[in-house]
Amino acid sequence: MPTELTAHERPMVELRRVSMSFGRHRVLNDVSLTVSRGEMVAIIGPSGSGKTTLLRCINFLEEYDGGEVLVDGETVGFRLEAGRRIRRTEREIAATRSNIGIVFQSYNLFPHMTVLRNITAAPIRVKGVSPEEAEARARALLSRIGLLEKADELPVKLSGGQQQRVAIARALAMQPKVMLFDEVTSALDPELVGEVLAVMKSLADDGMTMVVVTHEMQFAREIANRIVFMDEGAIVEEGDPKRLFSAPTTERLRAFLKRYRESYLLS
Amino acid sequence: MNGFLARYLSVFLEGALVTVELALAAIAIVIVWGLVVAVARLSRVRGLAPLAGGYIQLMRNTPLLVQIYFIYFGFAMAGFGLSGFASGLLALCLQNGAYAAEIYRGGLQSLSVKQIEGGRALGMTPWLTFRIVVLPQAVARVVPPLGNQFVLILKDTSIVSAIAVGELTHVGKLLSERTAATYEIFFVLAAFYLVMTSIVTTLVRLYERRVALLL
Amino acid sequence: MLPDVLIANFGYLLRGAVVTVGLAAATIVPSAVIGMLLALAKVFGGITVRAIVDVYLYVIRGVPLLVLLFFMYYALPYSGIDVPPLFGGVLVMSLYFGAFMAEIFRAAILSLPRAQWDAARSLGMRRRLMFRIVIYPQVFRLAAPPFVNTCILLVKSTSLVSIISLWELTLAGREVAERTFAPLQIFGGVAIIYFVLCYALSRYGLYLEERMRFAH
Repeated sequence: MPTELTAHERPMVELRRVSMSFGRHRVLNDVSLTVSRGEMVAIIGPSGSGKTTLLRCINFLEEYDGGEVLVDGETVGFRLEAGRRIRRTEREIAATRSNIGIVFQSYNLFPHMTVLRNITAAPIRVKGVSPEEAEARARALLSRIGLLEKADELPVKLSGGQQQRVAIARALAMQPKVMLFDEVTSALDPELVGEVLAVMKSLADDGMTMVVVTHEMQFAREIANRIVFMDEGAIVEEGDPKRLFSAPTTERLRAFLKRYRESYLLS
Repeated sequence: MNGFLARYLSVFLEGALVTVELALAAIAIVIVWGLVVAVARLSRVRGLAPLAGGYIQLMRNTPLLVQIYFIYFGFAMAGFGLSGFASGLLALCLQNGAYAAEIYRGGLQSLSVKQIEGGRALGMTPWLTFRIVVLPQAVARVVPPLGNQFVLILKDTSIVSAIAVGELTHVGKLLSERTAATYEIFFVLAAFYLVMTSIVTTLVRLYERRVALLL
Repeated sequence: MLPDVLIANFGYLLRGAVVTVGLAAATIVPSAVIGMLLALAKVFGGITVRAIVDVYLYVIRGVPLLVLLFFMYYALPYSGIDVPPLFGGVLVMSLYFGAFMAEIFRAAILSLPRAQWDAARSLGMRRRLMFRIVIYPQVFRLAAPPFVNTCILLVKSTSLVSIISLWELTLAGREVAERTFAPLQIFGGVAIIYFVLCYALSRYGLYLEERMRFAH
């Protein structure tokens, strides 16, 4: 159902009362969230809060049970017809996904392909980009993240941080409307985290719409336009990063931040 | 089918009995012989390890049938002929002993030195550590693949039919040459083998559970 | 003390070896295909499909290969199904070893990290493309070492077709041994030829295992 706003005013990502259960366990409880064009939203919360599941609903890696998910005005995964929920075809879902970029925590890259082929495979075979243009695009992206010399290497030869940066490039090669990040630095050695966050910052500066699930509180506070705090399958508090971190209004957020500060010894 | 069974069941049972005898004898010998070879393979005595290694490679890379022919026809020609049953048993033991040795070796080698050090740190003697920490784990690690090998031994007894030993497959072959009831024969054979292999598999799983309780 | 009988007949045995290699080669591809299909059925299939596959695997793993070969050779002709023995032998062996390949491929498929599936789907790849360029290449690489080891068993098992009168290395050996009364030399030579074939495969398997260790 298209909204009445113009294309420019339309939010990029809309989650309307999204619910999901695994058997008895209610993972997402009527969650609603809107992300505007060019906005960078960071989702934080304890493990089991449903933040990763929520992210994965956006590109339909998780099949939510109730509610609606829209990306750039188009419903994802299901469409409503005369009030009934109908699952979209595999072709439609794949097409939607090709416009949404996602980077996972680990094992992103295809280990049997070179870095270059990792980045060009999908644009060529899914979006029909010509091999020459796909390669040019890939090299430009690699150059931008400072890994052009690794183009013909296999992923196993790259460090964790380099692999994650290539994974970001691979997602960007599809020219997505929105980029999703699922704790992309959590599995990295500490000294490699910075290089990945730097790439994400430059993406945000360029105006990419981003939804980032993260534990990197400093990064979230400095770079995000908005923080969303989730707990037990629902959004507990959201708002401006500076305000949220210095003066949380809910007890649960206060407790979460306290535990976080204690374990990381931050002020 | 019932008429057929009624007439020939006793013949099949005789064949099955030979199969079971052959398999049990081979299994019993292989349990011991495999351990011997594994120990030889890991020993530091001069020449013993390569000898055992060579034996294992030879057995693993040559077919059982050829070994059976070599022993049965070869020994007879050399003057000390063995019966079909004995030849078959010897070949089965030699071939499967090599695989069992590798299983034992895997189980023994996977034991971490840390386990023994951990035991000693707690004040246990090396022998006690071996008995209650190392050995139960080694046994647990070895039982499933050994059990699988026993099933293979059981199935390999069928190959001994090639030198006219009266086990189950040979019985089936003879009957199929004498009667036209080949389908019935096949189903009876399959049923017998499935029952036998299922029994072995179940016994092994029961033993696995018993060993797991020791841990 | 030269094995003169063996040397004299070695050429004949080698011709048998060529047939053996041909039989093995002809069996490997169908068994891999059958194994992959069964593995996919077990991983992705519904309850009925999985049950059927389980029954098939149970029967194949519980019945000796020789019995299956006998069934094909003796029983099928009675139903008017005239199977050329060569084709039948390869078919039965493919069905037999396909069952063992199934477990190898199933383990390989399951060991693929979930993120690989997620990443492929997230890039908008549809099923066929995803399997073709992401899943199958990795599954085959992961399965390669145990696959090669199963191929060694396969080569050894080709000796069984000699019992149903298919001519290959073992039957060639039996013919010569019966003719020359030199079983020790001849079967010894046959064993050596098998050894060379299988040992080469085992070295290749070890090489693949080493490569795997450095790839991740």
